[in-house]
Amino acid sequence: MTTSAISTAALTRSFGAHQALSDLTLDVPQGEVFGLLGHNGAGKTTTVNLLTTLLEPTAGDAMINGHSVKTDAAGVRQSIGYLPENVQFYDNLTLLENLRFFARLSGLRRPDARIRDVLTFLDFTGHDNQRVGTFSKGMRQRVGIAQAVLHAPAVLFLDEPTSGLDPEGVRTLRETIVRLNHEFGMTIFMNTHLLSEVTKTCTSIGILNHGRLVHHDSMSNTLAAFPADESLEDIYFQLDSAAV
Amino acid sequence: MNTILTSARHEILCTLRARVALLLLVVFLGMVSLSSLIGWITNTTVTRVYEKILADGLTTAPNPFAAVSALYYSRNSVIYVVLIGALMAIILGVQATLRDRKSATADLVLSRPVNTVQRLIGQFLGLGAVIAAVLAASTVISGASISIIMGAPLGLDPSVRLIGFAALSWALMMIFALLGMLTGLYSRKETTALLVPFVIWSAIAFVLPQIGTAARPVALLNPVPALASPGRGSFDLIGAVTGPFTITEQFKRAASIVLRDDSVTGSPWLSILLLVAVLIAMTWIVVVTPRRTLRSGLNE
Repeated sequence: MTTSAISTAALTRSFGAHQALSDLTLDVPQGEVFGLLGHNGAGKTTTVNLLTTLLEPTAGDAMINGHSVKTDAAGVRQSIGYLPENVQFYDNLTLLENLRFFARLSGLRRPDARIRDVLTFLDFTGHDNQRVGTFSKGMRQRVGIAQAVLHAPAVLFLDEPTSGLDPEGVRTLRETIVRLNHEFGMTIFMNTHLLSEVTKTCTSIGILNHGRLVHHDSMSNTLAAFPADESLEDIYFQLDSAAV
Repeated sequence: MNTILTSARHEILCTLRARVALLLLVVFLGMVSLSSLIGWITNTTVTRVYEKILADGLTTAPNPFAAVSALYYSRNSVIYVVLIGALMAIILGVQATLRDRKSATADLVLSRPVNTVQRLIGQFLGLGAVIAAVLAASTVISGASISIIMGAPLGLDPSVRLIGFAALSWALMMIFALLGMLTGLYSRKETTALLVPFVIWSAIAFVLPQIGTAARPVALLNPVPALASPGRGSFDLIGAVTGPFTITEQFKRAASIVLRDDSVTGSPWLSILLLVAVLIAMTWIVVVTPRRTLRSGLNE
């Protein structure tokens, strides 16, 4: 029996009268690469913010690696890595200084060796003393991945990780996600609206529509439930419109 | 504890990399050095003139600088702290808390096992260390300059008094740094974050003392606290009411007594207690800032 890396029970978040996420009940087993799909404003980022303890739920709860987002936020934060959309850093500091800061915040006392290992894993060496302000979008995204995995988290949250990347950057990131999952068994929760990326990287998917989860299944089951000639894009629009 | 130290160290690094902050630090130290140089030139010039007229038999009076306390030459630093030091502290404070909101790094920080109190105390301590280092440098410059002017090493008592003055300056500058941190946390725009503490500073440094001291604006630019009101009941009353809020005047009063300025008498302890109370209250207000405020973006 596989244990859940992420488990939510009727997770709800309202902003005033607007309910951004309604009764999300979801289980993501350990070692999965889960893709959360949905159009803009569907509640994907709210979901990630709740699961990373950046927001508090209005109702319901979520367990991340056995820690409750409501009662054990510190335990959740210790277990997760997070890459926000359009990640930014301290531009006046060097790559090494930025990573040392985030590593120490995560509890690593002497982080330099770990930082070098992670940068080597990401094939991102030779930039240690370069200021992050001079980095391209693709380079920043790699720094983002590096800071997220420095403390070897059990669960990695990626919010629109391919947003704004060129095709080469997208491919590199995709390969990195797959390697993190295969080599370290990291559970990955990814928000995206790029269906092609989901097909290539995710083992299971969920579809959010106006804050409600309208579909959740493994990628293979999802594809098998529809005619073979239908792409994931067709399936997505069918499931999304059926929910409306 | 580790998180607080990490935040403090990070704050020091970020502050030292910011050009505006560095420029202000250089200006502050430059002013202190220049003040000593002006003191030394004045002393040398007056003494030469005095020796000439003494040799010519035109006077029998003692050299006016002979009776002056060694700490007399640090008097101008009091007003530099109120004017330049406080402004520098505001800018450093605003930058500290606005940085994460402006560059959207707050989410990265707050997704770590860090609570807001640890983060903000760390930033406060980092700023405190930077300001302490600047004041330590200015104290060394002042001490060395006074020793050169007096032609002898500074004694124990004046050295302790200079250090005491630096500690008072730190307290005042940290109050303004905390004010900057607060507006950096709560303002919706960067310009507001800078403008609001500047307005509050000018009200505290210029408007409030003026209300309580019978409109004597020039006195406010003096290193000694504003002189007593001319005995009018209304001014006495307003002075008593606004007194605790005019922390710059409280600082000037305590600093003048510590630096042995003869024009101010009495005990400095009430003024020091008021400064410390305001410092503690401001620190508390800053560290209880809710998590959602640290994450809030700017409307720009």
